Amino acid sequence: MNSSLLRLPVGIRRLILEQPPLTNVSPLRLTSAYIASTAKPYTTTTSPPPPESSVNHTEVSHFSALAASWWDPFGSSRLLHLMNPLRHDFLRRCLSVSPPDPAQKLDILDIGCGGGIFAESAARLAMARSVTAIDPTPECIAVAKRHQRSDPLLMEAGRLNYLQTSIEELYNRNTTIANSAKAGGEGGIKQYDIITLFEVIEHIRRPYPFLSSILPHLKPGGWLIGSTIARHPVSWFTTKFMAEDVLGLVPRGTHEWSQYLMPEEIREWARREADLNTSEGTGWRTMGVVYVPGLGWREVRGSEGVGNYFFGVRKRGDGV
Amino acid sequence: MASTALFRRVLALPPHLRRSVYSSTATHTGASQPDIYDVVCIGGGPVGLSFVSALRSHPSTSALRVALIDSQDLSTARTTKDTETYSNRCSSITPASLRFLKQIGAWEHAKRGRTQPYHAMDVWDGVSGSKIHFDSVDQQQTGLLDAVAEMIPGSRFQASRRKYQVEDVGVATMCENANTTSALLQRLHDLDEERLNERRVFDMLEKTRVESIDLGPESKDEKSLDLSQWPIVTTSHGKIAARLLVGADGANSPVRQFADIPSPGWDYNQHGVVATLHVDRHHTVQDLRTAYQRFLPTGPVALLPLPGNKASLVWSTTPQHAAKLKTLSPPDFTAAVNAAFRLMPVDISYMLSPTSTTTPTDELAWRETATPAASTGLPRNFPRIASVQEGSIASFPLRMRHADTYTGHRIALIGDAAHTIHPLAGQGLNLGLADAESLAKRIAYGVDHGMDVGSCWTLDGYNSDRWAKNNAVIGVVDKLSKVYGVGSGPVVWGRSAGVEVLERLGTLKGWMMGAAAGVK
Repeated sequence: MNSSLLRLPVGIRRLILEQPPLTNVSPLRLTSAYIASTAKPYTTTTSPPPPESSVNHTEVSHFSALAASWWDPFGSSRLLHLMNPLRHDFLRRCLSVSPPDPAQKLDILDIGCGGGIFAESAARLAMARSVTAIDPTPECIAVAKRHQRSDPLLMEAGRLNYLQTSIEELYNRNTTIANSAKAGGEGGIKQYDIITLFEVIEHIRRPYPFLSSILPHLKPGGWLIGSTIARHPVSWFTTKFMAEDVLGLVPRGTHEWSQYLMPEEIREWARREADLNTSEGTGWRTMGVVYVPGLGWREVRGSEGVGNYFFGVRKRGDGV
Repeated sequence: MASTALFRRVLALPPHLRRSVYSSTATHTGASQPDIYDVVCIGGGPVGLSFVSALRSHPSTSALRVALIDSQDLSTARTTKDTETYSNRCSSITPASLRFLKQIGAWEHAKRGRTQPYHAMDVWDGVSGSKIHFDSVDQQQTGLLDAVAEMIPGSRFQASRRKYQVEDVGVATMCENANTTSALLQRLHDLDEERLNERRVFDMLEKTRVESIDLGPESKDEKSLDLSQWPIVTTSHGKIAARLLVGADGANSPVRQFADIPSPGWDYNQHGVVATLHVDRHHTVQDLRTAYQRFLPTGPVALLPLPGNKASLVWSTTPQHAAKLKTLSPPDFTAAVNAAFRLMPVDISYMLSPTSTTTPTDELAWRETATPAASTGLPRNFPRIASVQEGSIASFPLRMRHADTYTGHRIALIGDAAHTIHPLAGQGLNLGLADAESLAKRIAYGVDHGMDVGSCWTLDGYNSDRWAKNNAVIGVVDKLSKVYGVGSGPVVWGRSAGVEVLERLGTLKGWMMGAAAGVK
């Protein structure tokens, strides 16, 4: 997968990869247009996923090509690096609802870690005990592990672990480990205080089953925090037209506008989950952010519905 | 007998096995692993010390492992107990720098009796005599409403106008560099005392020479720590790896050379002569003091107040004049300084020229009678220099340098390592302290947001905070020195007219003072 292929529009790339084209979807996506089992076989570097997996192989190939430049300050991931401090600000805002005991360190799971931008920064925090970071793309994990080696703090045992896996496989892996190590929680799987899902959900074909499959990994009272883009004509203009086609800030084909989710849709999903607290402020938070070229990312209240936003939802339990 | 047999058997082993038999430490890693620090600051001057104090004082950065390296013995950098002698290395500290020093808890350790705040500045042109007077009154920005309010004392109106008045912080404070340095060292010592029971994270490596700075070695294999992009400082006491290497090591910064950062600029064909002087009147703590500066074509001469009857001299002049001044006897030197403020520039140049046959004392005596004070623009209450403190006359070459950038990968420059400036505006140390404050703030932000503090994500902010501001100040000071370096002609007329106009624009003067003070 080389960069010249990436410059082609997504539609043509898909033809090359012999994927079925995206069928027309209704604005309020409650069902997915894709059914994984009807995908035609094609060559990739990894074996085809099991039928229920969230892993989308076009996405994996796309991010494989970007892996090499992930840590280049002026490469394709520059905007992610610039957004990273805001992720920490939002995380702290969610935790401030009921601040954790400073002596009690947190276990963090970062899903879809890519090259490890957030995972590394989380592992450096004083309040973090361990960070487990997973991504299905082998090249991204390789880049992340290589970058980890240049920081002695991150090389400390247990502080930062990268796994090339999907969330479903993690469930299987953690269940096996946990059953032999007597971990607490539901069904004996390892649970985390914070699970982060930054810029991932818009790349998942079936977002709601995916989100539901994450919940068993979250400790009671823990936060599921993510970031994505709202589905709105303005976000099409800013994240597709301007960012990808005109200014080239984001590689072409990174985003699929029809897969964007509105904050209300995620909150609606959360309401249907029995063990999630969705009360505004204490169990559900959002923060809209806007990128202005030259100035960077800034929080803009009210922009959750038209552009990039963070969302956080808290699991019930332990008095929550 | 058994032991000799055993010994012989050990000797028969190949060398690497022999070593492991009789060395107790089994760690044989080849080259010794360098000691890893989060921030290494090379340079223990006021700027480096204030930077490290800021890191140690801020809760976010107080857990970082920090090292300060200096080749001098820092414990002897103290002011003398003698209140009669003052060091000739004094700096003018602006209100913004003072606020920073107070914030990091260092100013309270300074010997306040040896510092002198001053409240006004008299600046005049040596050629044309046009003058400008800066006063804290201009910073007050009093207008018509305030004048009316003052006419009704005790009224609610007057009370409501009070909130618009700026706190009178004076123009700046004169402080010996040794005083500032010892205050900062005391603060660092106190911070260490507070944390005696915690893991030691701050190491002051004084009397340590930096032998070389290199990048780390390539990593041995795919799994081990890779320090190939880390600066490794080789000192006389061992190797130190720095996540962030900060150069506070002066104008010829080795850190800047290691980072290959060019620092273009030029030498002013001038030397700065410094001395501690005694003036003819004694001032008490309550007296309002004034700083004086006269712009001669050969360079500005400034008299900066110190406590009591002392003052600090900073005279930028040609290298030839500077050499002559250093050879003069103390009475002659005193006369030359008095002449610098009172006589015409051509007379001063003659006095200091090698062909002059009379002593400066005699020159001054008869020329002064022929030079009325009003014609040279001498301020009315300008003191007479009575004598010079023994051994306090020194000089240094003046130059302007500005590094192209202040940061690189795991490198940052602060203070004179980043920029050198003409002393005519008293901004050199203040720019350095502002650099230290900004870099410490950016590092605190980086730590709070999980950044690697040596990466561009932390350091770019420091560059954008300081580079443009410093460039503007250095540029303005440089242009001032060039404009006032002209001895005659239309430039003299232009600058004099400008000064006369500026003297009458109180609001603009107030703004200029605010800008020079660094008040945000």
